[in-house]
Amino acid sequence: MTAPAPTPTGPGTPTATPSPTPSGTGQVPALQAGLAAEHAVIWGYGVVGAHAGDALLPQVRDADDAHRTLRDDTVALVARYGGTPVATEPEYALPFPVTDRGSALRLAVHLEEGAAAAWRYAVAATDDVAVRRAALVALSDAAVRATRWRLALHTSPATVPFPGD
Amino acid sequence: MVAVARRSVLIGGAVGAGLLAAGCTAGGPSSPAPTTPARPDPLLAELADERRLVAGYDATIARHPALRARLTAVRDDHAAHAAALVTALGPAAPPSSTTPAATDSPGVSPTGSPTGSPTGSPTGSPTASPSTGIESSGGRTRVPATPPAAVAALRAAERAAASARGTAALTATPDRARLLAGISASEASHVAVLA
Repeated sequence: MTAPAPTPTGPGTPTATPSPTPSGTGQVPALQAGLAAEHAVIWGYGVVGAHAGDALLPQVRDADDAHRTLRDDTVALVARYGGTPVATEPEYALPFPVTDRGSALRLAVHLEEGAAAAWRYAVAATDDVAVRRAALVALSDAAVRATRWRLALHTSPATVPFPGD
Repeated sequence: MVAVARRSVLIGGAVGAGLLAAGCTAGGPSSPAPTTPARPDPLLAELADERRLVAGYDATIARHPALRARLTAVRDDHAAHAAALVTALGPAAPPSSTTPAATDSPGVSPTGSPTGSPTGSPTGSPTASPSTGIESSGGRTRVPATPPAAVAALRAAERAAASARGTAALTATPDRARLLAGISASEASHVAVLA
C-alpha cells in the first residue's frame, strides 16, 4: 500500500513508538477509535471476500492483511500507552445487502471510508506526534484503498477531497 | 524587510502580498521595520502550494487536452483543499488568484506602499515550489512535453504535497490537523489514480 511520506512506515511495520514518558494527551481514546474501526473493517472484509469473485481475491486478501497488521499494531500501542484494547464485536450490521461483486466492492469502499473517518478523528483527538503519525498513515492507506476499490467499480470520481468526512 | 522579501520569493507572490500587508500593519508607515516580524501563519504555505497544484493541473490540461477527463476531478479536489484552507485561515488568507501568472505579480498594494517594500517581482527567475516540485518561470507552469511525463510530474507533486500536508498535521491544532490530514490523504489517493 502506498503510504504518504510523513514516515517511511507502512502496514507491516510498527506504526508508532511511544516515548517512555508520553508528553501528549489523548493517545488511548484516539487509538481505541481506530482500533474499533479496524475490528469492524476486518469483519466486513470477510463478507467482501465471500462475494467479490476470484479475480479480486488477491486484492481483497491484501487489504484484509493490511488491516489485520494495523489492528495488531494498534492493540500493542494501546497497551503500551496503558489502555485496555477494545475487543471486536461478534457481529456487525451491514449497511446494505451484499450479494454479488458490485455490492461487495461497494462494501469495500464503505469499509475503507469508515476506517478513514475513524483514523481522521484519531489524528485530531491526540496531540502526541507519534500517535498522530500512525493515525495519519492509517488514514492515508484507507483513502488509497478506497480509491482503488472505486477504480475497480469504475466509480467517478475515484477520489474525494476530504477522506473521512 | 530583506528577510521578508526573500521569503516572499520563496513562497510566491500571493503569499508575499500577505506578508507585506502584515508588515505594514505591524510597523506602520513611519516606524522602522520590525526586527522580528510576526511569523506568517503556516497554513499560508499550504494554501500557496494547493493553488500551485491547481495551476499545475490547469496548465497540464491546457497543454494535453486528452488528459482532461483523467485530471479534472483531481484538480477539483485541490480547489476544494484551497477553499478549505482559505476558510481555516480566515482574514489572513490572501485573495485568490485567477491565473497562475497572477501569483507572480509583485506584492505591492495598488496605491503604492510607503513602507519601502521591495517592488521586485520574482518573475524572471525560475522558481520551484519547495514542496510540490512544480516548476514555474515567469508565472507559467512548465508542463512536460508528453502526456506520460506530464502525469509523472503530477504524481511526484502529489507525493510531495501529501508529505508536506502530513508533516504540517503532526503539530497543528486539532481542527487544523484534521483538515491537513484529510488533504494529505486525498493527495495520497491521487497518486493511485495517476499511476
